[in-house]
Amino acid sequence: MAKIRLNRRTLLRGAGSIAIALPWLEAMGTEKRAYGAAAAATRFLAVYTPGGTVRAKYTPTGTEAAPVLSPILKPLQPIMDLKKLVIIDGLDMKSAIGEQHQAGIIAWLSGTPQKGTAYSSGPSLDQVIATRLAAQKQRSKKSLEFAVRWATGKSKGLLSPMNVGNYEDNATFNPIPPRLDPVQIWTDLFGSLTPTPGGDALIARKKSILDYVDKRYAALSSRLGATDKQKIDQHLTKIREIEQAIGGTTPPPMVCKAPTKVDTADYNPRTGLNSSDNGSVKDLATDNAIPKVGMYLMDLLVMAMACDMTAVGSFQWSDTEAKHTFPWLSLPEHHHFYQHDGGFKPAECEKICTWYSQMHLYLLQAMDKVDMGGHTLLDESVVLFGSELQDPPTHTKTNMPFMLAGGGGGLVGGRWLKYNALPHNNLLVSILNLFGDTRQTFGDPKYCTGPLTGLV
Amino acid sequence: MLCPDQMIHASRSPLRRLTRFEYNNTVRDLFGDTTLPANALPAEELGNGFGNDADTLSVSGLLAEQYFSVAEGIGTRATTAPAFAQLDPCTSTVTTATEDACATTIIQKLAPVVYRRPLVAGESDALLALAKATRATAGATFATGISSVIQAMLQSPDFLYRIEFGVPDQANPALKRPSGDEMATRLSYLFFGTAPDATLRAAAKTGELLTKQGVLAQATRMLADARSHAVVRFFFDNLLPINGLTDLTRDKVLFPTFSPTIGAAMHEETQQFLEYEIFSGTGTWPSVLTAPYTFVNDALATYYGIPGVTGAMFRKVALPDTTQRLGLLTQGGVMTGTVTTNQSNPVLRGSFIVNKLMCRQISLPTDPAILDQVKIPDDTTGKTARERFSKHSQQPICNSCHQFMDPMGFALENYNPVGQFRTQENGVTIDASGSVPGTPGALNGPVELARKLAETAEVQFCFASHWLNFAYGRKLGQGDECARASVEVEFQKSGYNVRQLLLALTQTDAFLYFPGSM
Repeated sequence: MAKIRLNRRTLLRGAGSIAIALPWLEAMGTEKRAYGAAAAATRFLAVYTPGGTVRAKYTPTGTEAAPVLSPILKPLQPIMDLKKLVIIDGLDMKSAIGEQHQAGIIAWLSGTPQKGTAYSSGPSLDQVIATRLAAQKQRSKKSLEFAVRWATGKSKGLLSPMNVGNYEDNATFNPIPPRLDPVQIWTDLFGSLTPTPGGDALIARKKSILDYVDKRYAALSSRLGATDKQKIDQHLTKIREIEQAIGGTTPPPMVCKAPTKVDTADYNPRTGLNSSDNGSVKDLATDNAIPKVGMYLMDLLVMAMACDMTAVGSFQWSDTEAKHTFPWLSLPEHHHFYQHDGGFKPAECEKICTWYSQMHLYLLQAMDKVDMGGHTLLDESVVLFGSELQDPPTHTKTNMPFMLAGGGGGLVGGRWLKYNALPHNNLLVSILNLFGDTRQTFGDPKYCTGPLTGLV
Repeated sequence: MLCPDQMIHASRSPLRRLTRFEYNNTVRDLFGDTTLPANALPAEELGNGFGNDADTLSVSGLLAEQYFSVAEGIGTRATTAPAFAQLDPCTSTVTTATEDACATTIIQKLAPVVYRRPLVAGESDALLALAKATRATAGATFATGISSVIQAMLQSPDFLYRIEFGVPDQANPALKRPSGDEMATRLSYLFFGTAPDATLRAAAKTGELLTKQGVLAQATRMLADARSHAVVRFFFDNLLPINGLTDLTRDKVLFPTFSPTIGAAMHEETQQFLEYEIFSGTGTWPSVLTAPYTFVNDALATYYGIPGVTGAMFRKVALPDTTQRLGLLTQGGVMTGTVTTNQSNPVLRGSFIVNKLMCRQISLPTDPAILDQVKIPDDTTGKTARERFSKHSQQPICNSCHQFMDPMGFALENYNPVGQFRTQENGVTIDASGSVPGTPGALNGPVELARKLAETAEVQFCFASHWLNFAYGRKLGQGDECARASVEVEFQKSGYNVRQLLLALTQTDAFLYFPGSM
C-alpha cells in the first residue's frame, strides 16, 4: 500500500512565499515522528529464535544507510524496502551470565544474570512495557506469550530456565509459561468475541465465583508463614487481575474479527512432555505441522493486537534446547544437533535461520496489513527479534543478531546500525524509551552504559 | 552422630499444589470426570524432575485463567444429566421450595471432600449464598447455581493447595504434626495420586494417623491396593527415557522392523514389567535390574525374536537367553530411549546410567573451546562405536569426564540403536568390555553390567533419592540428611525392597512432624 506522506517542509516549499493557513493534516501524523516529537510506541512484540545465527551468512554488506541483505536476512527485503526494519549489530549480551544457553534466554529480555541455576534476577522488558501500557489503558490481557514446539529435550514439556524468556514485573520475577495450544488460544481469545445472549448474566456469575475465591485466598494468606503466604498472595494477585479484566473492556475496534480456525489436529502442543533429554524422541507429525501452526499463531497474535485485547506479546520458536526436527526443510535431525550436538553444521543452521527470517516476514507483513486508523499496526509497534546466543558451536554472545521492526516511538527503519561492543542492555533501555519511559538504564546496571544513539 | 534417634528431625515442608496428574485423578474420583481436564493447564516447573517441586512453584496469570476455564468445564459436566444425579438424589426431585435444602445437602456432602477437611462455621452458608446469587441471574437454573459452587471450590486454595497447619503431638505437645486430615492427604497423594478415599477419611477422624504405626498401617494398606500402581507408573515415566517411545521414528532402511508401534510396546513392556516385579515379584531394585523375564505381546515378541507369543495382550515370558538380556536396563525401551540418532551412542547411554541411576552429576562442559570439540563422530571414523568414540578418551581434558561414562556405554554396545541384540557392527565383532567406574574389576557385556550395577550400593541410594524427591515434592538438600539417612537404612535393611522403600518414606520425622515446632 503506497502512501503519500506530507510534511511541513513539503507544504512550505510548495507554498512558496504565499501566505497560507497551515491546517494540521491527518497525513502529517506519521511523518511528524521523525522530527523529535514522536508519539510513543504503543505495542511491543518480542520474537525469540533458538541457537543464534550463522554470522558469515547473516551480516549485511553495503553501508549502514543502504545495507545489502545477506542470505539469511534476504527474506526480509520487503520490510527493509518499506524502511520498517533496522538491523542492529555490535551488541554483546554481557548480562548473560550463567549456564551457556539458559543465561542467554534469561538475559535477552531481562538484561540480568541467571540467579544460580534458576531464572532471571529482574523483570523482562516486555513485562515492564506491559505494566506501563496497562496503567494507560486496561486491556483484557496484560500480555500474551505464545510458543511453538516448546519445552523440547531436557525441559520435558515443563517450565524451566531452558525455555523461558518472560519474567513478571513484580518482586519475584516469576517465569511466565507460554500458551501452546492453538485450539485453546483461539477459544480463549476469540471464542466470545461476538456477545452471546445472556452475556451479562455470565459475567455476573463469573464475578461472584471469583469473589468467593478471592475471599478464600485472602483469608488463608493471613494464616500462613512467610514463604507459603507469598505463594498464596501471588495467586490472589492473579485472581484480582482476572476480576479487573471482566466486563471492564471497551468494545473491539472495527478491524477486529475472529480469525478463521485452522485444523491443527496433527499438532500436539504438549509433545514436549514426551521428550527425552537428548532429543531421541522425534514427533514427526507435530514437527511437520510447525510452519502451519506457527503462521496460525502469528495470525492470532496479530489479531489479538488489532482487537486491542493486548498491547504486548512474545512469540517463541521452540526453546534453547530446540530438539525438534524440520521435515519441511528436509532436515531429519533436531536443531541442537546441527548447532553442536552432532558437530556444527553451518549449511543446515543457515537453512533454519533463513526459514525463521521467512516466518518473521510473515509476521511483519501481517502486522503491516492491519489499518489502525491512518497507519498500520506495525507502524505503532516495536518488534524485537533475537536469540540466546550468536554463534551456535561456541555459544558466543558477542555481536548478537538483533533486529527491530516497526515505527513506534519514532524508530527510523531501513537501516543497519553497527555499534562497537556495547552491552545489549543498552538496546533494552532504548526500546523502553521508545514507549515514553525515560529511564537511562535497564536490567543489571553493571551491564548498561545508557541508551543507544541513532535509533530515532 | 548426625541424627540421634531420641530427637525429632523434621525437615521443612513448603506448600504444595496439585500437579496436572493429581488434579486429573482427583476430579475423576470426585465427579467421575474422566476428560483429563487439567491437561489444559500450563506446564509445571521442571524443578526436581517430577513437576511437583514446591520450591519452584509460581502462579502465572495464565494458570489462574486456565484454572477458571478448567473448573467451568468440570462444573458444567458435573451438573448435566446424568452426572448431576450422582451428586445427590435430591437433584432429581428438586422444586423451588426445596432448592436451598438440596443445595445445602450437596454442599455439605461435597465441600469436605473437595477441601479434604471438615467445613468450618459459615463455609457452607457462603457456598449456599454463591449458589443463590448465581440462581438469581438471568437464564439460570438450580444446576447453574451448583455449577458455580463447584467452580468456586475447584479454584479455592483449599482444593488446589495442600494446606497444613498441624496439631500438637499428643506424646509431646511442644511438637506439631500434620492433623489427621492433613496426613490423610499426604498419604493419599503419595500412594494414590488423588484425594483421600473413605477409609483414609475415617482413619483421619479416629486419630489413627497421629501415630507412626497408624500411618504405617494405612501406607501398607494403600500399597497393597492396585490404585498405587498409577503413581509408580507416573514416577517411572518421569525417571526413565521411555515416555516418548510412542512418537519415535527411526530410519526405515536401517531398522525396517522398528516403528512407533514397537516403541509404544517397549514402553508398555517396561511399565508392566516394573509393576509386576515391584508389586508381585521379589520387588527389590537389584531384582528389577537383573530379572530373568520380561513382558511382551505378539508384535514385540516377534521384534525381539521370542517365539510362541500370540495376541496383543502383554504377558510375562522368561528371557530366552539371559546371556543376552537381563533386567530393566537391557530392555528395548531403555536402550532405544537413550540414543539420539540412527547410530548407537555409548556416551549417551553411559551418561544416562551415571546421571539417573547413580545420581552422579556430570554436565556438559561450559568452556567454549572444549565444547567446540563435543560432537558425534562421523560414521566413517570407525566401524564400531568403540572406534568412533575412542578419540576423546585419548585427550586428558575430555577423558576427565568421559572415563566415568564411556566404560558403561561400551558394555551396552551389544544393543543397536533400537534395542536389538547384536554381536557385530559393520562386520566387526563388538568388544563390549567395560566397567562400572568407581568400583573394582572389569566386566564384559550388558548382562555383567546389569549384575554389577545391581550390586552397587550407590545405585540403590540413588533410586531412594529419586523417590525422596518425588514423595516430598522438592529437591532434598541441606537439612534433609536425617530423612535421607533413615530411608536409606530401612531400604538397605530390606535388601533394597521397593515397597519397603515406599513405606519408609512415610516413617521419617520429615513426613510425621513439622519443622520449627520443637
